[in-house]
This record gives sequence, structure tokens and C-alpha cells, in this order.
Amino acid sequence: MSGPLFSRTLAWQRTRWIIVSLAIFGWGVLIPVVYAAFSDTFRDLANSGVFPEELMNFGSGSLFSLPGAVTLGTQHPLAISMLAIFAVGATSTAIAGERQRGTLEVLLARPLGRRGVYVTVLVALLLVVLAVLAALLAGFIAGAAIQNVLDDLPLEQMPLVLLNGFLLWAAFATFGMAASVTFDRTGPAIGVSLAYLILNYFLEILGSLWRDVAWTQEYSLFHHFQPTEILAGDLDPTDLVILAIAAVVPIVYALIVFPRRDLAAPS
Amino acid sequence: MRSPNAPPDRRAPRPDRCYAARVEASGTNAVISTRELTKHYGGAVAALEGLTLDVRPGEIFGFLGPNGAGKSTMIRTLLGFLHPTSGSATVLGMDIVRESVAIRGLTGYLPGGVALYDSMTGEQVLEYFARLQGREAYRRDELVERLQMPQVDLRRRVRDYSRGMRQKIGVIQALQHDPELAILDEPTEGLDPLMQHAFYGILADLRAEGRTIFFSSHVLSEVERVCDRVGIIRHGRLMAVHEVRELLARRRRKVAIQWRGAAPDPDSLPGLEDVTVDGDRLFGTLSGDVAAFVRAVASPSLEDLTIEPASLEEAFLEYYADDAAISPPSDEAAVPAATQAEAGG
Repeated sequence: MSGPLFSRTLAWQRTRWIIVSLAIFGWGVLIPVVYAAFSDTFRDLANSGVFPEELMNFGSGSLFSLPGAVTLGTQHPLAISMLAIFAVGATSTAIAGERQRGTLEVLLARPLGRRGVYVTVLVALLLVVLAVLAALLAGFIAGAAIQNVLDDLPLEQMPLVLLNGFLLWAAFATFGMAASVTFDRTGPAIGVSLAYLILNYFLEILGSLWRDVAWTQEYSLFHHFQPTEILAGDLDPTDLVILAIAAVVPIVYALIVFPRRDLAAPS
Repeated sequence: MRSPNAPPDRRAPRPDRCYAARVEASGTNAVISTRELTKHYGGAVAALEGLTLDVRPGEIFGFLGPNGAGKSTMIRTLLGFLHPTSGSATVLGMDIVRESVAIRGLTGYLPGGVALYDSMTGEQVLEYFARLQGREAYRRDELVERLQMPQVDLRRRVRDYSRGMRQKIGVIQALQHDPELAILDEPTEGLDPLMQHAFYGILADLRAEGRTIFFSSHVLSEVERVCDRVGIIRHGRLMAVHEVRELLARRRRKVAIQWRGAAPDPDSLPGLEDVTVDGDRLFGTLSGDVAAFVRAVASPSLEDLTIEPASLEEAFLEYYADDAAISPPSDEAAVPAATQAEAGG
């Protein structure tokens, strides 16, 4: 770990970090508001049979309960886009961007091992992802408090939701970093990382909307982030293990591949 | 940054001088020592081929070659950016594969076409690199002054810098921590003549203080000006290593002489060749001892004498004019054994 590199990595994300944290906090506040205002209406709509049951559950979330709304809030494309700014965008460009600009050469001219550089940048970006996720959950709590529905939200389970969510986004972040140490250009690194995220999301949403292929959800990392179950006290440790494995495998890959790569002169 | 008024502390005792013992222990007494260093890309493209070279402590070693000859590949291999295909090398007595991080702790590196962080100011860039280096920026103030980077420029963002200013920051970041060895890839690229002159002065001072400089360039005139020895690389092969002094001594000089009255017999002038006479003027090429020639030419009838110093470039061209070793590397037999032996330093 390099202290100056760690500080610099955080400093580079600072502005985006603040803006996105505020935005995602606002989004989190909005979810209990929508739940308090529209849950009965949605329940009536669901019971009326006008809409297919599948459409009343987006991913694993719904507006029929606050935990369901929390899940909906975390799996909504807006929340995913905001988290992906760091878990995919920042990670996939971290090393590949330095390489593309030519600054990796000046950085590695210092007494820093490549593994040290990788670990430092990864830890800094994971910290950013954790903070953004925490802002989202804080928004849920604040929104629930504003709407006086805090009793519907078991706060003692929130740390587990944070842990589960962090493992999910850490899996995408480590994948992004693995892509970043593999490519010399940011384009392919972002492309591969984004494709990985979209594929996982597609499998989750496809399985939730089309019951015949519900099995596809098992292959999506998003399916192993279940705030509804955690808030109901039914955490499945297997989900944590699967996500932890998905996060660790790219780390192992990067720690092997990055130090062995030839870093030819930037073209 | 330290105050510009602070007394220079570049000669202050430093805690990291143990490298000298390691250099001695390595058995080569060379700051950079490569043995049959080879780098192939993709198993086929030979960027370096069997390069054997010793760079002595306290010298400025010029590494010359045209673009694509393998200069940057050599430097990148020494610093651990590239992994050698075969052969071995030590820098400051440390193995380039196993001890790369430690090597970089004692080395200053200026990459060719240096890239910096555009969103940072020059001052922030220098401070950031100094912190990453983990050594005090002993020489920063001195370098800033000598390369004429005023504070107002250092406080501007790098994105607003000209190419020359970026290069100056590149030079300062490479040397500010007073490294034992400076590896500089085309360091004067983008510097104006005045700054090139200042840079040569900095190199001379570093040498005087016992630092070693490995300096790649394709500009022969600057190598002639600053280097003690020069290695020529071509198609990834080290063609020769020479003392610059020796090269300059063996070079030919253009001579023009004018007499009042009849010119003397050219055969009586030692070392003069390719003679042409145009009335009272004589032109020729001088090789060998200049003093003997001047003694022979001195007479009351001598009106004018011009001895034009041939450039190092001409010396090299002469040296290799009939040398088959200049052929492409596929012609392995063409590399003369004597040249390979000399390359060992």
C-alpha cells in the first residue's frame, strides 16, 4: 500500500464522489416516500389482475413492503448507474487510464511494486463504493424516518444489507480492476466491465419478468443481493459466499497477471 | 515545496549509500551491468539481442541509436517494465527482475515523451512524485532555478504547459531526489537551446558529484558534448562502446590553407589526405596528430589556416562506413567479434 497513491486516488474521485453520494442519498430518501404514497395503490393494482404479477415485481423488489421497496431501490437502473460510476467506471479506467495517458510509467518509476499499486488503488476505490452504498442505505433510513415508517425497516439488519450490497459491488469493482490491468486502453477495459455488469443485470431482470427462465437469476450476481430476505431476518450465507468468491477471483487474477505483463512504451 | 531561500542541502549526508557495497559485491564494479540481455516480443520480434554492457560509476553514458533501435526497450527492461527473455542484468548491484522495486528507489527516470497528470499543477506533480519516491526532494529548488521554472508556472496546471515546460517538469521529477543513477530517455526533447545548455550543466554537476547518468539520445552532438562514453545500438544489438574522447581523437578534420605565394608540396604535410589545390588555397582532410601538422604548415608565407572540427556524427559515419556490422540483425555473422568484446565496456 502506498499512502500518497491512496490519497491521490481518493482525491481524484472526490468531486464525483460527493455529487453521486448526494444524488444516491436523495434517491434513497425517495424510495420510502414512494412506498408510503403508492404501496396501497400498487397492491390494489396487483390484486385487480390488470397487470401480470411479474410486472409488479421488478427484479427481487416490490412496492408492497418497505424491505421490498428497499430492494427495488437498490436494483433500480438509476441506483445501479450511480454505483457503476465507481464500481465499473473508476475501476476499469484506474490502471488502463494511467497506461493510456503514459503516466503509469512515471508512477512505476517510483519504488512501488505493481501489486502494491493495484492493491492501493483497489482499496481506495472499494472505499468509495462502500461510501456511496452507505449513502444509499442512509437515504432509505432518512426517508423512512421522514415518512414515519421506520418501524417497517429493521435497522439492526441494515449492516448486513450493507455487507451484502458491498460484496455485490465489490465483485463488479474487482472485475473492473482486473480488466484495467489487462488492457492498455480504457475503451476495452470499460467495455468488458460494462458488459459483465449488463449481462448480470439482464439475467436477473429476465428471470424475474419471465418465469420460464427464472433459473437465469441464479447466474446473476444481483440475485445474491437480497435486502428483502436480510431485512426479514432470512439471510442466506451462501449469497455472501458466492459474492465473496466473485470478488476474490478477479483479485487473484490481477495479482498474477499485472506483475507479469510487459509494459511496452505507450504508443 | 521548500523555500527558495533555503540553503542548498544537496550535499547533505544521505542514508542510502549502501548501494556502493552492492555494486562492488556484484563483481562487475558497474552501476549498470547487462549480460547477453535479450528481449523478444511475442517470441519472434527481437527488440534486444544479446546485449552486454557495463556502465561505470560516475560516468555519463550515452546510449545512441536511431528511433526503434531498442534504446527505450533497454531502459524499460532495466527498470522492470519489461521482462527479459533471456540474459541477466544488474542495476546498482541489484538484479533487475528480483529487486526492481529497490532499484527504482535509488534511480531517477525520465521517460521519452514524458506524460504527467494534466489536472495537477507542476508543483503538485513534483510533490506527489517526491512523496511516492519516499525521499526528500534534495535538488528540487536548485533544478527549478536552473531550468527556469518560476513559481507562477509551477502553480499552473500541467494541461496548460508547453511541451518544453512538461519536459522540464519531467527532468526535475527524475532528478529532484538526487538519485544515484539517472536514466534519461531523450531528455532534451522539447527543450530550447538555452534550456538544453542548462541541462548539460546539471548533468556535468551530477557527474562531478559522483552520480551516474545513462542517457539515451539520437542526437550525436549532445552526446559528444556531455558523455564520457557512448554505446551504439542498432536493431537491438550493441554495435560498439567507445570513449567519446577516443572517437573524437580518431575523427578527421577538414582543413583549408591559404599561402602568400606558392603553396608547399602537400606531401610534406603529415596526415593530410584528399588534397585539392585551387590557386593559392589548399583543401584537404586531416587525420592523426594535429600538432605535427600545424608545425609542418607553419611558415612566414602562411596567410590563413582553418581546421574545421568534424562532428561526432562524421566520426561515427567514418567509423562505420565500411563496417558490415551496420547491416540488419538478421545478418548475425556481420557483427564483428571485436565489437562484441568492446561492448563489455
